[in-house]
Amino acid sequence: MSSSSRPADLPLTGGDCFLRAFDAEARGWHRSSHCSQLVLRLGPDFDPAAFRERLAEVVRANPILRAPIVRPWGVAPPVYRLAWAERCAPPRVELHQAPAPPPVTGVRPLPEVFFARLNDVLALRRGELLRFDVVRWADGRSDLAMTWAHMLFDGSGSERFVAWLERIHRGERRPDDLSPDEAFGASETAGDGLPEASFRERGRVATLWQSRMKALGARAPGSLAGPRRRVRQRLRYTLDTLGPEETARVVARARERAGFLTPVLFYLAAAIRAHDAIFRKRGLEPGSYVVPLPVNLRPRGKAAGALFRSHVSILWFQVTPDQVQDFAGLVAELKEQRLASIKAGLVEHGAVAMDMARYAPKRCYAWMARRMLRGEAASCFFAFTNEFLPETTSFFGAPIENGFHAPAVMPSPGSGAIMSLREGRLNLAHVHQEGVLADDERALLRERLLADLLGG
Amino acid sequence: MAAATARGAEQWTLEALTDLVFRILRDELLSVGPEFTPRSSLVESGLDSLAVTQLLLAIEERAGVWLDEGLLTPENLASAEALAACVHEQLLQTG
Repeated sequence: MSSSSRPADLPLTGGDCFLRAFDAEARGWHRSSHCSQLVLRLGPDFDPAAFRERLAEVVRANPILRAPIVRPWGVAPPVYRLAWAERCAPPRVELHQAPAPPPVTGVRPLPEVFFARLNDVLALRRGELLRFDVVRWADGRSDLAMTWAHMLFDGSGSERFVAWLERIHRGERRPDDLSPDEAFGASETAGDGLPEASFRERGRVATLWQSRMKALGARAPGSLAGPRRRVRQRLRYTLDTLGPEETARVVARARERAGFLTPVLFYLAAAIRAHDAIFRKRGLEPGSYVVPLPVNLRPRGKAAGALFRSHVSILWFQVTPDQVQDFAGLVAELKEQRLASIKAGLVEHGAVAMDMARYAPKRCYAWMARRMLRGEAASCFFAFTNEFLPETTSFFGAPIENGFHAPAVMPSPGSGAIMSLREGRLNLAHVHQEGVLADDERALLRERLLADLLGG
Repeated sequence: MAAATARGAEQWTLEALTDLVFRILRDELLSVGPEFTPRSSLVESGLDSLAVTQLLLAIEERAGVWLDEGLLTPENLASAEALAACVHEQLLQTG
């Protein structure tokens, strides 16, 4: 997109504002930002100089990567102020030397600096939206973390961005070759199914969605951290990577149990049961477990889809502790709830509600959600993002040995299971707030999760 | 459901169902160009699980038949034509 055709401001999407609400909560209550992180575990020969050079070109051509997020006149929907981007510093790229040589056998540990980044505060009003950390190990291999303010990309967009950077490095794309649709998506409301509806109609639909949220609060949801409280955000994550044979077993079980179409519900059921095991160990029985599942709103098909901004809606699931005890029954219940929600138009209604929230004060959405869910945001966070960076095998000269997502989890609920597949291996990232789970509880969660995924 | 009531299951020929499935996909669910045909690969055209469910709901509303999710195999989701054949089969079985 040429600079002459570029707008001065780009509105945040409803999804962006939803995440911005939790960013405001993270700042106000937990002294951090609400970030997400994509990690690449690279082989030897990563070229940091080439990476810095290409990134600088990409940032010059795509000002959203350092555009301050502001709210014009204090009342209009917030925007990425593209016109001010050039005054802002480009995303930081920091090189770190690993403190110790990698272990001779087994997988190298996750760098501590990655956890620290997930808990940093980003200056959104100064255009600090994205940063990179590269840890070089003595054997020449590297780990790279891309950490960003969660509204800049959604999970799918972040992968598209990384794949695009690699294609620029290979000379197959150019830093300035994104069409507006490929960069930003068709419009702020294109995915919600009601782009032509009147403001009044959209308000009615958003109210329907709000009623649904309120109904979720009737059976008091519980999380391992308990309702929101003022604590410093201290997130860490662990990663389990299953081998090809184990992964094939899990994938086959997912298809068999949840069907060809919705294996995600198999993984969701396993995540809920793993958290339930800890509640039981503690002797607690909440009224229900409530878990949100992000749904991609990008147009399906020929349209390239958007790199930047969030293009998601949310499906909410609610089950009681009794329903969790039988794995097959739980999967069947989740399937039923998914179908009923889609039939009732809740994907579209959720998107409309998030769009309407663009006009509300930034903390409003998180405040309302927590009020309706009795102080909770969810019982745990969950995502299954399927194939991670399919078709991208290297990054700036280094083979990609593995890769996964580690999005921030709010200190309440304090625990989230994020799963994805990379070249036939299942990655299970468990993001958690320090202190929410004791060591033996984390071991139990892992044990229960693997037992359900792998079966007898 | 009105269309199904008016038309009756026995009047849904394979051709009519193929046309119905194809039109729903082309006009409502997928962002595709003129190269999209009833024989095009649905997965390659961008069909995902949400779109399949929305497609099944649209078929139920217009043809009055809910396709058993157990029938959603890669083969039956290969193309609009294959899916229509599967729906037609189910219509014949349920009468």
